[in-house]
Amino acid sequence: MIRLDLNENPYPPPRSVLEEAEKGLREVNRYCEQACLDELKRSIEEYTGIPWRSIKLSPGSDTILREIIHSFSIDRKVIMLNPSFLPTLECAKRHSRKMVKFHITPPEFILKREILQEEAREPSLVIIDNPNNPTGREFLDKDLVVDLLDNKNTLLVIDEAYYEFSGNTFSNLVNEYGNLAVTRTLDKAFSLAGLRVGYLLAGEKFMEGLSDFNVILPRPSVYAAIAALKNMQYVMENARRIRSERKRLIRELNKLGIEAYKSSTNFILVKSEFPGLGDKLRVKGIAVRDLSRDWIPGYYRISVGLPEENNILLETLKEILADESNN
Amino acid sequence: MKLGLIVNPIAGMGGSVGLKGTDGDAYRKALELGATPVSPVRIRQVLSLVKRRDINFLVAPGKMGEDYIRGTGFIYEVVGSIGEQTTADDTKKIAREMVDRGVDLLIFVGGDGTARDIADAVDLKIPVLAIPSGVKMFSSVFVVSPYAAARIMDSFTADMPLVEREVMDIDEEAFRQNKLAARLYSYLKVPGIEPLLQASKEASNTSKSEEAQKREIAEYIVENMEDGYVYLLGPGTTLKAIAGKIGVEKTLLGIDAVYNGKLVGKDLNEKGILELIDTYGRARIIVTPIGGNGFIFGRASKQFTPEVLRRVGKENTIVVGTKGKILKLKHLRVDTGDEEVDRMLSGPIKVVIGYNEELLMEVRA
Repeated sequence: MIRLDLNENPYPPPRSVLEEAEKGLREVNRYCEQACLDELKRSIEEYTGIPWRSIKLSPGSDTILREIIHSFSIDRKVIMLNPSFLPTLECAKRHSRKMVKFHITPPEFILKREILQEEAREPSLVIIDNPNNPTGREFLDKDLVVDLLDNKNTLLVIDEAYYEFSGNTFSNLVNEYGNLAVTRTLDKAFSLAGLRVGYLLAGEKFMEGLSDFNVILPRPSVYAAIAALKNMQYVMENARRIRSERKRLIRELNKLGIEAYKSSTNFILVKSEFPGLGDKLRVKGIAVRDLSRDWIPGYYRISVGLPEENNILLETLKEILADESNN
Repeated sequence: MKLGLIVNPIAGMGGSVGLKGTDGDAYRKALELGATPVSPVRIRQVLSLVKRRDINFLVAPGKMGEDYIRGTGFIYEVVGSIGEQTTADDTKKIAREMVDRGVDLLIFVGGDGTARDIADAVDLKIPVLAIPSGVKMFSSVFVVSPYAAARIMDSFTADMPLVEREVMDIDEEAFRQNKLAARLYSYLKVPGIEPLLQASKEASNTSKSEEAQKREIAEYIVENMEDGYVYLLGPGTTLKAIAGKIGVEKTLLGIDAVYNGKLVGKDLNEKGILELIDTYGRARIIVTPIGGNGFIFGRASKQFTPEVLRRVGKENTIVVGTKGKILKLKHLRVDTGDEEVDRMLSGPIKVVIGYNEELLMEVRA
């Protein structure tokens, strides 16, 4: 099965990272020491420029997003985009006092900023994934972010899980605005999905409200993450390769008559009227994310795979579409 | 599996010759203009795509069904009789007979007019599969393509989840004059096609059935209802679920009123609504948009007149709808016939799509 449904990185981590993970594995009867967790925070500090005291570790960024919702939505409403990263949407719906979602529809994908600003006037926890999953779009710019942050009633969380592919971040505002938090992950660009290392860069309002109990990450995850952050050249080279494949894939999909939208991530949102396209691909050994159930029928999210995987995807799509016109 | 099949042989013929439908005299005119039948092509295509063979068809005679199934290898039996010119009564009579003979799913090919006839005959008794071939298809019962139709036929089982969809009534005469006069006519039950489940980290529980979603919406609405307001419940099955939660009976197509948990008005017209507002002072409207086109006022519930809407105000208008219906809409629409009221209703509005879950959408006039 070619997995193009979970936005994973098709490139494995480099040898040095795998060796560190193995080293961690040999000591798994012991919890990871605080010093080691601190070392990871220092590495993240070096990478992001955010002081380590403003960093929290988390097993994947979705876990810390959940903790944020649990901690800050009791007396404030949660505002999110729809569509958005599903586990976060679901968690907010279940646990917040009130949940308001912004309806964003293709092909224009417009976020009306004045409506968002108006809605955020009351005490709110605004959670926006930027770039957005599954549209692949960036909806935030500095003016909008600063405007939201200037309202002290607002807590703003920006999920930057795909930052290394978009190149745009708001993390530099964390030092200045206590009501801003940015979540990141090493699952994607760092090729560590199976080790689940996420982190939060947060202003003081968030740090005060979150439990100061330290999350202990698995030892192999911590060792591997430290090693991965030392080898940024490898990460950035893979991100570049994926971006270049993304460009090619969008072009080729559009040639096939499948509408592929622009993206700032390692995945592409596509639209096809062909019924059951997701199932047809799955039968032929390719998994893509069918968004019918959770969003709009006819929309799919396809992760950018290795060039050869993308070629198989394109060939398979060609076959499926040809079968249709022969019938 | 016992499937009924009724084809409206003349549906869709007005389209190519610019006639907007074949009701009334327009059919003869369409023929004179050289229109060719659309439905036969459509149904033949669907039947050629169906893979399963465990189907016993009950088909309408001649050009209403039998002609297209003959020679396909499917087992079939002809139901009813028709004359040279087929009529709406033929459709209704044959559909009723098929219900009586226990078909599991009734397939029909046609447009809005055919959907209305089918709704008259079968109501919500059995599920239908509506294959579009008409010119006007404002109803949201139709499947998107012949492929989708074949897919449903291949996968249909007695326990397939069903959803209720709107059948619209368009005045063809007015439509031909370029005026769109539509109202909600009825509902039909159609199979809800669910894509195969994907096991992944992102698997979620948003895949609740339509009925479960309606219950969830009803629960949230009813929990948040305030005493001292008269609630005017618009048409639709989501509103029916809300009424059910309150414990009162709902007119499916009409407007009913509830005050402090008690039914105070049934199938109200404008006069009745205004009297209730006068009596109780404060009112709220709860409506659901029409699937596909997103109209909240001006199409499905004309009893909510500009005067009523002015008195109630946008701030007291609550829009509800299941995700399956709402997320497909780009925006909501109003066409009350009063520009000022349309303007008042325009702009952002929150739509309740689940328990404690609201979607901020735009209303456009």
